This record gives sequence, structure tokens and C-alpha cells, in this order.
Amino acid sequence: MTVVLDGISKSFGNTPVLHGLDINVEEGEFMVLLGASGSGKSTALRMIAGLESTTAGKVFIDGRDVTEVLPKNRNVAMVFQSYALYPHKTVAENIGYPLKVRKLPKADIEEQVRDVAGQVQLLELLERYPRQLSGGQRQRVALARAMVRRPAVFLMDEPLSNLDAKLRGHMRTELKRMQHNLGITTIYVTHDQVEAMTLADRVAILEGGKLMQLAPPKDIYNDPANLFVAQFIGSPPMNLLEGSLAPGLFTCSDVAIPVNNSARVAQATLGVRPEDCSVVAPDAGQMNATIYATELLGDHTLVTATVGDSIVTVKAAKDYEAALDTPIGIAIESAALYLFDRTGERLR
Amino acid sequence: MSWFESQKLGEMAPGTKVIIYSLLWFWAFVVVFPLYWVVITSFKLPVHVSDGPDFLPFIDYQPSLHAWKYIFIDLGSDTFRPYLNSVIIASISTVFAMIFGSMAAYALARLHFQPRLISIVLFLIALGLAAYAAISFGVDWRLALALGIAVFFFLVRALQRVPSPRLGNGDILFWVISQRILPPIVAALPIYIMFQQLHILDTHFAIILTYITVNLPIVVWLMYDFFVSIPRDIEESAGLDGASKIRIFFEMALPLAKPGLAATSLLVLILSWNEYLLALFLSTAKAQTIPLLVAAQNATRGPQWWYMSVLIIIMIVPVVLLTILLQRLISKGLLLGAVKG
Amino acid sequence: MASEKLDNWLDRHSARLFLLPTVLLILSFSLFPLVISAWLSLSRFKLVAGGYDISYIGWLNYKKLFTGSQQFHFLGTFAPISLVGWLIIALTAAILFWGIYTFLISRNITVIGVIGRLIAFPVLGWLGWLVASTTGEGGRLGSLSTTLYYVFAGVTLQFLMGTLLAWLCAQNIRGRAFFRLVFFVPLMVTPVGIAYMFRMLADMSVGPFSPIWKLFGLGEFSWAADPWSARMVVIIGDSWQWIPFIFIVMLAAFESQSRDEIEAAELDGASGWQIFKDITWPSVVPVAATVVLIRIIEAFKIVDLPNVLTNGGPGIATESLTLHSFIEWRALNLGGSSSVAYLLLVVSTIICVSYFQLVVLPMRRARE
Repeated sequence: MTVVLDGISKSFGNTPVLHGLDINVEEGEFMVLLGASGSGKSTALRMIAGLESTTAGKVFIDGRDVTEVLPKNRNVAMVFQSYALYPHKTVAENIGYPLKVRKLPKADIEEQVRDVAGQVQLLELLERYPRQLSGGQRQRVALARAMVRRPAVFLMDEPLSNLDAKLRGHMRTELKRMQHNLGITTIYVTHDQVEAMTLADRVAILEGGKLMQLAPPKDIYNDPANLFVAQFIGSPPMNLLEGSLAPGLFTCSDVAIPVNNSARVAQATLGVRPEDCSVVAPDAGQMNATIYATELLGDHTLVTATVGDSIVTVKAAKDYEAALDTPIGIAIESAALYLFDRTGERLR
Repeated sequence: MSWFESQKLGEMAPGTKVIIYSLLWFWAFVVVFPLYWVVITSFKLPVHVSDGPDFLPFIDYQPSLHAWKYIFIDLGSDTFRPYLNSVIIASISTVFAMIFGSMAAYALARLHFQPRLISIVLFLIALGLAAYAAISFGVDWRLALALGIAVFFFLVRALQRVPSPRLGNGDILFWVISQRILPPIVAALPIYIMFQQLHILDTHFAIILTYITVNLPIVVWLMYDFFVSIPRDIEESAGLDGASKIRIFFEMALPLAKPGLAATSLLVLILSWNEYLLALFLSTAKAQTIPLLVAAQNATRGPQWWYMSVLIIIMIVPVVLLTILLQRLISKGLLLGAVKG
Repeated sequence: MASEKLDNWLDRHSARLFLLPTVLLILSFSLFPLVISAWLSLSRFKLVAGGYDISYIGWLNYKKLFTGSQQFHFLGTFAPISLVGWLIIALTAAILFWGIYTFLISRNITVIGVIGRLIAFPVLGWLGWLVASTTGEGGRLGSLSTTLYYVFAGVTLQFLMGTLLAWLCAQNIRGRAFFRLVFFVPLMVTPVGIAYMFRMLADMSVGPFSPIWKLFGLGEFSWAADPWSARMVVIIGDSWQWIPFIFIVMLAAFESQSRDEIEAAELDGASGWQIFKDITWPSVVPVAATVVLIRIIEAFKIVDLPNVLTNGGPGIATESLTLHSFIEWRALNLGGSSSVAYLLLVVSTIICVSYFQLVVLPMRRARE
């Protein structure tokens, strides 16, 4: 089932939250809505579910205009951030509730519940109550309850954010596997870029209620459409230098870097990722810097250095050692440079 | 289109809306109409009442101020004195009930009690003996009380080593709150006798003391829930800084519990203001409160609706004003108490 | 130096000092009177000039109420059991069997539990029989049955109406704050005032509804002269005042519902009624049980309304136990007054504690 958001806008009272959002999700795709809190991503998700009405624009599910259709008639299932399990019902009753509401015969309900519970390894916990379960187990119950209806679309609102780091990693892979097996169109909301990069077929980055970029993870990382996306994705974040662009040359304080771009822009920003930089001897690279700090992270050393008034981080080899305030040079791979104009748009 | 299917997302179906709003407005009418009737009746002359119901002032009848004049001018001090009594009694008893009750609630919420069961039993025995001596043998009550207390202390010391189960905070709390089940009538008679012996019947002091006692369980119940929900960190940090428990209570706990204090005070004030039975028992003329005045309207002559209406109105108005001022704090306060049970 | 020592002493004993005033007041004006009241109920007590004259007469006061000259006043006049009576007995029996059944299958059988139930259940059963056998043709309710009627019929009506209003107000409507304020007002009116208000309203000939009564041919009907209509007016007045209380508490409970669970149920396809039945109601049940308990405790004390509305009449038809006791006091029968008051205490305690054990605790445990 495809999902299309066509020019969606939403205001709560006088506060606008979404501005003309256009997103289309393909059949069977795993789409991630990525953004910081307040970006409008949860609101967009809730509008697909029908839990929020639209101020303007339309929502289409599988080609059908569902903008005014009640949530229960949209055939979507949602996993809430808080899981929203019914505390006074057992796990089996929780999972079976959507079927009970549709008045299926008891035997059918039991069978389908067991089937789904098996898929998420909940068979031994069917008679427990939510309060007796761990976070990860509750999450699986929420998942099972969404799955049991075989909906047209899965909606997930930050389902992993309440789990500890180790469990989160494990559940990520489980989720991807499960979605692949079921083949159901999934729309997933998160603020965690790692989840977005690892789970998504395509990522939609939202900021301030607007769509920043909609592309597969690879393109989001290697080909950011604007400054916001470039800064948001990548850990540690992309290095940014503000200066001016002349044809073929970017200048910033006492740094001049040759670039493959013939535009002339008075205020421009140069971006380069830490892993595309390397530490060299002073004057051996495109810029000179002074070490501000070094941090050993196990598989690499993160070197933070000052270039004029700016700070640049470089991923160095794991055995790199140097004293603070040592002068160094930074070499940049010329193919890995990004240029942005004053408004943040990418210069190509 | 069906009347009960929602047409727009996020809005109720038109049929449902009609039913809900009409029920709500119906009940609003049920609430307001009796009060409206009281108000317009207070402006009616006797002839307006006995001739049949008049619904609209200026249209069905000409309003008159005669009832108001009578109550405020002719009756003058006979109205003013009970009104003043009510104000004094209600406010003073509320203030003290709140102080004592909050202190007790705080102690039960934060501090640890472990009274021995045997001490309590001994206390009750001593009390019973004192009462028996005072009533059956006419022993002067002061002597009997002193003897009873002496006996109690002596026995407690003597039996100090005897093992006994201990009760905890929960039990004390339950005991205090369960006092609410006690129908006032059961205590009214003995209290009447006690006060008569002490020659304090028909005084403000007697009624205030009684009202404080009657309202303590409610204050303790509601404030306990409030204090329990305040995070301990603030108080612990103040304790580390050297503040005594008393200081922590007055400077930390109370200010944080302001919504609860407001809601509970209002509730207790309303209860004291409107109380009838105990006031009836314990006062005759000097300490008479307004509910008694209202009730007395019936005793001497037939129902004089117009005077009664004036009295009812002057009883309601201060409370309504106070409630509007504290309105938002009320539902927050009641919720916390009720949801926690 | 001295003040520091005082501070330290105060601090160490602060717990007891905080609790002391409350405990003292309750001991003196609640517990002590209780003891005296018990003693009074066992005696013939007369106030004479300058003091009192008391003589111990054992259980005579109680005997008078149960089997003697005051039986008609306290228990009522007996009559063959009618259909309504059998229904009441059936209901009582059902409740008792359910109570015994749940107790036996629970894993929580304690000595206190058994003793408590051994005391409470026979009493409850007897009360059910009493009400049934005084409501028949020619039977008259005594103050005990009348009080039970006020409590059970009144609280049921108040709870249903209050919860319904609260649920309506919790929906997506405009003006919730307005309704909340308006609905709260009746709680502020003194019960005596309410009594007079309703007397005015219910007047058949000059009250505001008299045109309607006359239309139905009831113009000459005096509601104060018929026992059941008189009781109904008392309940109406009582409910007018107390429905707001239940409304406020239940509204707060509905508003504190977890939105997520409701939305999840909406997505799962549940209709409004299914959501209420399966999601909302189970989560507010503990609050509902508690608020009903509070109302039951207070309802037993009802006195202002029957006193002022109907003066206990016609005859003794609307007399609550408190009113009965008060009337005895006015008649200077202090021993009799104490005994009625004490019986009220016993009955209300048994019913309140039973309700607490059988209803409130299981609800709370289920939600824990």
C-alpha cells in the first residue's frame, strides 16, 4: 500500500507545526521520518493515522483519499512510544483486542494471537500482565498487537527510545528483519540518526515542519541537499568553515582551499567530514591548525583542532598521539568537499 | 449520512453532539433553576407567592425589597449576629483544622511512628476507668482524668518489657481517617454534657473546638496524599543544610503543597459554614450560626419563603465568590486525593 | 545556649509534636465521647438542675428498640413480604454468596478475614430481610430501613448521574470549565437551605411546577403526606447537592486517562462504547469505588434534609437514624437517644468496612 502526503499543513490554534509537506511512500517501503523534537515528525505520523486532523492538504492511502476518514477505518496500525498497552489485560488479550473489536470468533482470535506471538517470541508470556514485563518485552507486545491485524501500513512513533542502548541495537535488527519478511509499508519516526540510517529504505528529514530532504540513507549522507541535513547526519558532525567562494577557491580567514566549483559567492560555507580529513605535518595539507584536544575512541582517535576562529575535528588513526597545542596540518580529500550558500542550499 | 457517524475528523458525530450538549444543558438548568427561584422569591411580596407561581420579575410581578429590608434592617442585629458568628466560627476552625491536620499529615507522610499496641490498649483501659469513675461514682471529672493519666503512665512503665506488636504509620492514618465514619450525633450528646459541665455551652470556643475535631480526618486524608507526592530530595537537601524538621515543614513542605492547602481549606470552610446539627446541639442564642437562623424561620410561623430566600442567598454568596477565586486549584486538589484513594 | 537546647529537643520530638494536637483532639472529642455514649446508652439518664441523674439499666434501651415499645419506630411495622421484598432478599443473598465465593477462592484467607465476615454477613443478611419485610402491603419502614434506603438508593442515583455527567463533560466539548463551575455550585449550599429550596419548588399549589402538576391532575396531591413520595423528595434534594461531588471527582479521573491507550484503541477499531467499556472504565474503577465509599459514609449521617423538609413525617416515614436520635434527645430521652446513635454507628461501620473490604480493596489491587 502506498502512502502519499499531499501538501499537508497543520496548525494548533495559531501555532503552525507543518508547512506544506509532500511525502510519498512506496509499496513495502521502510520510510523513516527523522528530525529533532518539535520538527513535526510525530504530528505528520499522527495525521497519517488519523489521530490529528489536517489544516490543509490531503492524505492518501493506496490511492484512496482518507483525509476525513476515521482512524479505525484507515487500516493502519501504530506502535506508540509509550507502547500504550492496556494495563488490565493480559498479553494475549492485548494482542487480540483488535480482533475482538471486530467480533472475530474466539477460536480464530486465539489462533492468530498465537501465530503472531510466535513471530516475536512471546509465546511463554501470553498470560502475563504488562506490569510484569520488561521494556523489551512490552515493546514486542505492542508490535504483535500491530501485526495481528495485517494492516495496510505500519506506523511507529519512536518505538525504541525507551529501551537501553544494547537492547535498542538488537531490536533494530529484529525490526528490519521483520519488516522485510512481512513486506508491509512502514513509516517510522525517530530523532536518532543511527536508527534512520540503518533501518530506512528512504529517509525524510524534517525541520521546523518542512521537508529538508527525502532520499535513501546513502544519498542523505554523501549528498546532503542543504546545510541542515549535512550538519544533522554524521557523528561526529561535519566540519563547517564560513568564508567566501571565488571561482575555484574557497577562502576563510587565513585558509585557502582549492575547490571544484566555478561560482562566485560572497558568503559561503565549506563542509568536510572528519573521516575525510587526515592529520599531516604543518603546511603539508590544505590548512594549518593547532591541536585543542585528542580523544581515543577505541578504533580511532578524534583530534579536535582550531583553525583560526573555527574548530575542525579529524578522525585520526587509533595509535595517533600528540600533545595539546601542537601545530599540525590537515589534509582534505578534494572530492569530499561540500559547498553551501548563504541560505544553506547546496552549491553544486 | 448517518446522524451518528462523525463527518469531520476530530469532531463528534452531529447526533452525538446534540445528545451530549442537551444533557449537559439540561443538568445546568436543573442546577440553576432552583437558585434562580430562590433569588426571585427573595424579591416577592407574600401576595405574589400565594397567588401562584410568578416566574419573571418585572413581567409577572413587581419586585420588592421588603424581605431584604426586613432581614437587614428590622431584624438587624438578629441577622447580623449569627452571620458574624458563622464567619468567626468557620474561619477560625478552618485555620486550626488546617494547621493541626497538615502537621499530622506531614508527620504521617514523612516521619516514622511505631506505637506499641499494648500502650494503646492500656490507654483505652485507663480512659474507660476514668470515665466510669466520673460518671457512676460522681467523682469530679478533673480528678478522674488526672488519676486516669497517672494510672496510664504507671502501667506503661511497668509493662515496658512486655513484648507487643507494633503499629505503623498506616494504622494511625487509617484510625484518623476512619473517624469520619463516626456519625456526629453519637458524639454530640456526650460533648453536650461535657461542655455543660465545663460551662462553655453556647460559646464560640466550644463550637470551634468541635468543628476542628470533626474536620481533622478530612484534612489529614487529603494533605497526606499531597505530602506523599512531594519529592523527598528537596527536604533531604534542606535537612543536610542543617534545617530542623519544623523548619522544613513550614518553609519547604507547606509552600509546595499550596494547591492542596487551598483546595482542602475551601472544602473545610464550606463544611463548617454549612454545618447544622452540632451547632444546633451546642448553641442556643449567643453562638447561633446562620443555618440555625434559616431553620428557625420555619419554627415560629408558617413558611415565609421570602425571608428564607434572602437568608439562603446571603449564605451562598460568600462561598461562591471564594470558590470562583480558588476555582482552578479545587479540581487539582480533589483529583490528587481521589485518584490515589 | 538554652534556645539551642530547646531547638534540639523540639527537633527530636517533632514527629510526636506534629501528631499530638490531632491525636489529642480526636481522643477528647471523638473517642472519649464514644465511650461515654456507649455508657449512656446503657443507662437511664436525666438532666436535673445543676447536674445529672444517672442509673444503670443494662440493655433495656436496646430491647425497647428491637422488641419493645419503640420497635415500630426503629425497625418498622412488619408485613408479609411482597414481590419487591423478595427481590430485595434475592439481591442481598446474591451479594452475600458472591462475597463468600470470592473470599473462598482468594488466596488470602486470614483469621481476621473470617471473623470479620462471620460478623458482617449475618448482619447484612438480616438487614436485607428487615427491609424486605417492612416494605410489603401494610408494612411501614422504621428509621433503620429508611436510612438504608437513603443510603443505597441515593448513592446509586448520585453515582450513575454523576458519572454520566462527568463522562459527557470529558468528551471533546467546548465550555468544559463553564460546566464544571456551574455543576459545582450545589455543593456550596447549606443542606438546610436546600431543604427549604426544595420545599418551595415542590409545593403543589404555588410552586413553580404547579402548572405541570395541575395538568396531570395532581394539584391536590400532597407529596408530604405519602411516605414514598416524601422519601423521594428527600433523595432528590440530597442528590441535587451530592451529584456534583461525584461529578467533579469522576471528571478528574476521566481527564487523567492516558491518551495513548485511548488512541491505540481507536486505531484498533474500537467504537466509543467499546473504548469506554474496555479501556476507560477499568482504569477509573478504583476512583469510582473510593468516591462511592465516601458518599456512603456521609449518606448515613443524613439529617438536615428529612428534618427540615418533612420533619421526619409523615409520621416517621422519612426519619433517618440521626433524626430519630435527635428527636429522642429533644424528648429528653437521653439514654434512648444514645442507643439509637450507637446502633447507627454499628450499622454504618459494618456496611462501610464491608464495602471497603469487598469492593474497594480488590479494585485497588487489580489496578496495582
